[in-house]
Amino acid sequence: MITIVDYGLGNIEAIANIYRRLDIPVRRARTAAQLADAQRIVLPGVGAFDWAMSRLDQSGMRATLDELVIGQSRPVLGICVGMQMMARRSDEGRCSGLGWIDGEVRAFDESSFTQRTHLPHMGWNHINAQRSGGILAGLEQDARFYFLHSYCFEAHRDQDVLARTDYGGAFASAVQRDHVHGVQFHPEKSHQWGIQLLRNFAAV
Amino acid sequence: MRPYQICTRCVMDTSDSKIDFDASGVCDHCRTFDEQIVPNWHTGEEGRRQLQALTEKIKLAGRGKDFDCIIGMSGGIDSSYLTCIAKQQLGLRPLVFHVDAGWNSQEAVNNIERLVDKLGLDLYTEVIDWPEMRDLQLAYFKAGVPHIDTPQDHAFFATMYKFAEQHGVKHILTGANYSTECIRNPIEWMYYQSDSIQLEDIHRQFGSMPLHNFPTTSILRHKIWLPYVKGIKVVRPLNYIPYHKAEAMQLLIDDFGWQPYPQKHFESRFTRFYEGFWLPRKFGFDTRRVQFSSLIVTGQMTRGEALAKLESPALDDATVRQEFEYVATKLGISTAELQGYFDAPNKTYKDYESQENFYALGARAMRLFGMELGGKR
Amino acid sequence: MLQPRIIACLLVHKGGLYKTVAFAKPKYVGDPLNAVRIFNEKEVDELMVLDIDATREQREPDYALIRSLAAECRMPLSYGGGVHDVDQFERIVSLGVEKVAVSAAAVNDPSLITAAAERVGRQSVVVVLDVGRGKRGPEIKTHNGQRATGLDPADFAAKVESLGAGEIVLNSIDRDGAMQGYDLPLVRAVRERVSLPLTVLGGAGSLQHIAALVREFGIIGAAAGSLFVFKGVYRAVLINYPSRDDKARLLHDALAIR
Repeated sequence: MITIVDYGLGNIEAIANIYRRLDIPVRRARTAAQLADAQRIVLPGVGAFDWAMSRLDQSGMRATLDELVIGQSRPVLGICVGMQMMARRSDEGRCSGLGWIDGEVRAFDESSFTQRTHLPHMGWNHINAQRSGGILAGLEQDARFYFLHSYCFEAHRDQDVLARTDYGGAFASAVQRDHVHGVQFHPEKSHQWGIQLLRNFAAV
Repeated sequence: MRPYQICTRCVMDTSDSKIDFDASGVCDHCRTFDEQIVPNWHTGEEGRRQLQALTEKIKLAGRGKDFDCIIGMSGGIDSSYLTCIAKQQLGLRPLVFHVDAGWNSQEAVNNIERLVDKLGLDLYTEVIDWPEMRDLQLAYFKAGVPHIDTPQDHAFFATMYKFAEQHGVKHILTGANYSTECIRNPIEWMYYQSDSIQLEDIHRQFGSMPLHNFPTTSILRHKIWLPYVKGIKVVRPLNYIPYHKAEAMQLLIDDFGWQPYPQKHFESRFTRFYEGFWLPRKFGFDTRRVQFSSLIVTGQMTRGEALAKLESPALDDATVRQEFEYVATKLGISTAELQGYFDAPNKTYKDYESQENFYALGARAMRLFGMELGGKR
Repeated sequence: MLQPRIIACLLVHKGGLYKTVAFAKPKYVGDPLNAVRIFNEKEVDELMVLDIDATREQREPDYALIRSLAAECRMPLSYGGGVHDVDQFERIVSLGVEKVAVSAAAVNDPSLITAAAERVGRQSVVVVLDVGRGKRGPEIKTHNGQRATGLDPADFAAKVESLGAGEIVLNSIDRDGAMQGYDLPLVRAVRERVSLPLTVLGGAGSLQHIAALVREFGIIGAAAGSLFVFKGVYRAVLINYPSRDDKARLLHDALAIR
């Protein structure tokens, strides 16, 4: 059973639809009580960092989330801002993050862009898997995903980086530390590749 | 309650409540095929001759015009193959005519595109007013009758005839054929889609908006007025040539990048839902019986293969659930409401006004004068 | 490497899909939900849905329609039409839309851009510039091209970027529906002044036009309405979009020449 944390952000319907079409049971949790017995958690997110963190706090689910992920090691997948929230902090805002993965969210270093490139990073880009299997099973070669962000995750430990993507230098497009996963891109909006990744998460 | 019986030659059974078996257990559909269709169905030298004559007539009538005929194209196997031979073998200059009722599958639009591009043909699409189509389809659900695909079928023909009349086109080509359709759906399963009296009655009772833009036709109009007064003929070229479904499909796939459908008529998502789920599960009418039986008597499928396929439903449960939701969403109702219509008592075309007697009379007259073979009953 | 985006643009009018020519003569295209379904299966890069009545009629966006379209999309969705305050931005994003577009509202009150970026994040704020011919050159127009603003597109684009917009859609009114190619001089003028993602709309009649745009500008969004919805001389409605392979080849070839 996949539980999507519904704190009012992110395309929950799109994620849920994909799981339904795969015939994988999915539900959404809007309160701590509904979240309490979650087995596998998806933390979506879109928008500004502070806005997302404050909405999560307001939802009353933060403490339960911490307990499930840190206390009980339930697998979790953070998507886009959901991934960024797993860092300690972000250049984009003032709130502190969940701190589940050692790192921080940084603005892209614009001086490292060799061409007249743009921010936000918007569009379809490739990922370079740093290891195989897990949520990237079957996606180690030729996988493309949709990105839409202006800030990126800087992991403090190299081994937490699951995939890198080339945009003004290589940045961490996916992270993983044991049962904690994060993807900067939008698997719910990445056609077949995204569907594969979401399917993989249901099996880790 | 009749005891269950299935034809020993094809796979039609007593789910067709009017079915009739002879002493060897062969059904009346098979007998109609043997006695009425086979003697008059020519696909060899005679068929070639007839087709040639027909083609010349079409070319002559279309001289000096942008196109000499229109082809009703759904993206399905029959109309796709017809389009291919009309251009490549018969040398006609058809306008490919597509009616978009709001339910096109991706495969359908892909297939139309491939054919139109590769054959260098012009396309005309008539888009049916969606709110009106939706309302009319919903009315049919509420009416509880089996033939809920009538709005699409009715619109398809009405629109083509209207276009032909407006543009002075004398020949409409359709992919209808004996090879895969010699055995037809019983009226009990699919009542005449052209019966405008029935359509109007169901709309009057269950519709919620007037049909301003929705195209309508009537049996008198397209069986008498159009052909005999306006001289607009519907032609079925696939009946004059050897038409083997599997070969035709392979040619289309190899030469055009044509994408196959899981079952006949699945180019419309609604029809897929209707024939794959609603009709069999709510009414016990499985159109695959009709389609497979046609293929059996024409030697394109064995009875054993057909029986094996009929063991499992056309759509698996997961697909049914998804399509159920999609259809409800498209119709603007909840899945609970759609379920309600599913659970409601089954009605028949007899529960509403109709021109059934007129059709029966007409069909008999047509057969008497040799104008139509076999046909619905 | 980041790929140029090829975007399908759908116009909603009276609840149905329509396509215009120079923002006029709307032609009925059909049911929005079915179109979105088909584009989904064709693996479209992005979808842009614009309600062309909402601003003019001064009414709210059709949230129910937006929700049902968003639920169907397995690719990013942008919505525009009738948006003029930050709460609407937030509401639409919560319905599952990746980006929200404003046009007239950005002209009337540019501070809306900054406020919206703060609320939903810059990446979700799109400003659409409808550009027509003015007395002294290209000029931004609003309300379906009915109102002249006197604003130069390149100047305003630069302003909008500095205020926090995440993407600019440059929409040529004159080229709309004409299928004669994009307005490349206009794109050049604007592109020089901004470095945020730029999407061009209006005039695409063939994949060659898209290739020409990518050849010249590299990473850019190529949006089209008529091209992906019509076919042939009769402008017959038929949803189409290049296959995965055809798209890869087109983009690869166009970028390789740069």
